[in-house]
Amino acid sequence: MSFWDRISRLDRRWIYLLVWLTVITPLFLPATFPISVTPEARQLYDAVQALPDSCVVLLTFDTYPNALAETEPMARAALHHLFRKHIRVVTLTTIPLGGPSIAERVTRELAATYRKTYGVDFVNLGYKPNYVSVLKGLGTSIESIYPTDNSGTPLAQLPLMQNVKSYSDMKFIFVVTDNGIIDYWISIVNAQFKIPVGAGVTAVMAPKQYAYVGSGQMTGLLGGMKGAAEYEELVDKHALATRGMGIQSLIHILLIVLIGIGNLAYFMGRRKRGAA
Amino acid sequence: MSGWEVFQIWLGAFLTVAIFSFMYKDNPLYKAAEHIFAGITAGYYVALYLDTVVYQQLWVPVTHNGRVWLIIPGILGIFMFGRLWPKLTWLARFGLAFIMGTTAGVFLASELHGNVLGQMSGTMQIQQVAGQPNYVLTALVVIGLLATLIYFYFSKPHTGVLGVTASVGIWFIMVSFGAHFGYTVMGRVSLLIGRVYFLYNDWIGTMR
Amino acid sequence: MRTTVPVAIAFVSGIIMLVSFFFRTEDNVFGDASQQLLIWSSIIGGFSFLLGAISIVRVNWRNVRLKKSGWGYNLLTVLAVFAMLVPALIKKGWLPESMAHLAGRDAGSIYDWIFIYVATPMSQTMFAVLAFYIASAAYRAFRARSAEATLLLITASLVMLWRVPMGEALLNSIHPGLPGWINTYVMSGINLSVQRGILLGAALGAASFSLRILLGIERTYMGRG
Repeated sequence: MSFWDRISRLDRRWIYLLVWLTVITPLFLPATFPISVTPEARQLYDAVQALPDSCVVLLTFDTYPNALAETEPMARAALHHLFRKHIRVVTLTTIPLGGPSIAERVTRELAATYRKTYGVDFVNLGYKPNYVSVLKGLGTSIESIYPTDNSGTPLAQLPLMQNVKSYSDMKFIFVVTDNGIIDYWISIVNAQFKIPVGAGVTAVMAPKQYAYVGSGQMTGLLGGMKGAAEYEELVDKHALATRGMGIQSLIHILLIVLIGIGNLAYFMGRRKRGAA
Repeated sequence: MSGWEVFQIWLGAFLTVAIFSFMYKDNPLYKAAEHIFAGITAGYYVALYLDTVVYQQLWVPVTHNGRVWLIIPGILGIFMFGRLWPKLTWLARFGLAFIMGTTAGVFLASELHGNVLGQMSGTMQIQQVAGQPNYVLTALVVIGLLATLIYFYFSKPHTGVLGVTASVGIWFIMVSFGAHFGYTVMGRVSLLIGRVYFLYNDWIGTMR
Repeated sequence: MRTTVPVAIAFVSGIIMLVSFFFRTEDNVFGDASQQLLIWSSIIGGFSFLLGAISIVRVNWRNVRLKKSGWGYNLLTVLAVFAMLVPALIKKGWLPESMAHLAGRDAGSIYDWIFIYVATPMSQTMFAVLAFYIASAAYRAFRARSAEATLLLITASLVMLWRVPMGEALLNSIHPGLPGWINTYVMSGINLSVQRGILLGAALGAASFSLRILLGIERTYMGRG
């Protein structure tokens, strides 16, 4: 077996080791990088910034726990922005596994920082099955779909919900998601109820969302951890996403180098076999 | 940091390492973690639905608010359990038909109105960059859309003009899929970063 | 009865939802009816998820009972189900006041604790492992075998560079306008047009599939029996 063939057939565990080393190295050499902001992230920030103080915004935690590294920084940065502007926040989730707990934990933590009161400044509606029912039903009556909040308190007992009966009482929907539910927030909610929808989505989903941003159906987009870092930059709250950009940079460069070596080995091996 | 907090972090770290151990090879520790995860997920679902649906959406409105008609979806829901016994499988059809019917009714309108019309009108406008019209971008979007649609149109053979347009389509598609791959790498790496930060900051942090 | 009634249910419920789309949802018979149907649908949907979870317990318990190979793992699954379920179903009032917070599903309950400290780390790690697999796959399989594959490879590399600060700095050093050009022409131009084409195809497919369900042509969801 030639040298290039051996390189081409390198045991996968050597690649894993290389990835591990690349991930670990920046931990010992911490460095910060300037985060450039894309027009899509800026558009989302500007839309929230333009909202009147004390209005109501729906923030969704449509995320499974496995994608929290990408989605949680977005939700946190969004809550910093919303609470700072004294906007009242209603949260919900269409994801049963973890959605309600994640919304509860993140929102309460940030609310404590800004001294916000549950029931007055923010409410967590939690989860209800069948996202079509939830997305469409909230356009007519929130209470008929969510008789109680996540903890079982009837909505009638929550001061914030006295004036929030349907989408028409909200100014903006900020969707944080790791799955295709965003399509329905656009095609059902934005299209039928004419409420602006902005989104923070995982990187895997981001390329598709450009179609919605381009058609004006989506008001701003955050794509993956870089998108979260952009929003952290915009609200000036640098956290996990911004810190993660160092490791992210190195791994991307490693991958490009690996792809280059793999191709070089492939072509050199082919040339050798052709010569023989 | 209290002893309980340290225990929580060590438990998370142990489970993280147990799952990572699969990268070397399949092993009992990984298998055990995987099965516990499946059980926790199922238990999470059962408790959540019993509380939010059976109790909050069904039991309370029927018994406290007099909305007795909700017994009908309750019965249709119970019929779903017919799936557990081969002879009663057909009972589940009524509930399923209801869900499929309402979903289809919503989708028929929303897909055409929200997606088809929304995307078509988005294509029929001049694309803007930083508030300025960009005609090159507009042409790119229109040509790319038509070429992609023709590439996926299989009712006629891809020959002549159709063939040329379809081959332009495949070039556009390759660029888009390349971008998709780049983003997917980014997503997977981000999730790894989340775990590495947990191990480094939280777990190793307890040992400092 | 076993086929006609479900088809009729799907037709009537679907038509009500479809017609209600053309009216304002408040204060009219279609709005009220469609809202009721959505609530019903949510309730029935909840039972279907319960069915799925019960099936998992059933399959695993059968393996334990029959002592099939690896039954110890199946037992772990069953135990984990009840470890979540039992504390969540206990009413707070049944426990002494100092322990009441452990019951139910709220923050601080056993249910919530197991989810956050046991399930979440495992779930996150399962997906984090994919970073290694994608690196290995890229090294082995991402070859410039044809012009199309080369284009895909070049775009992927450019986007990977553009989405991280170090890579962006590198692109800037080649040409200061390159990162902006990638966002405008690659992502908001070529990528947008392809995604729009796929979206339009999928939307038309979903709409025609919905119509087939309403008209009773599509019946595969009923299964056999």
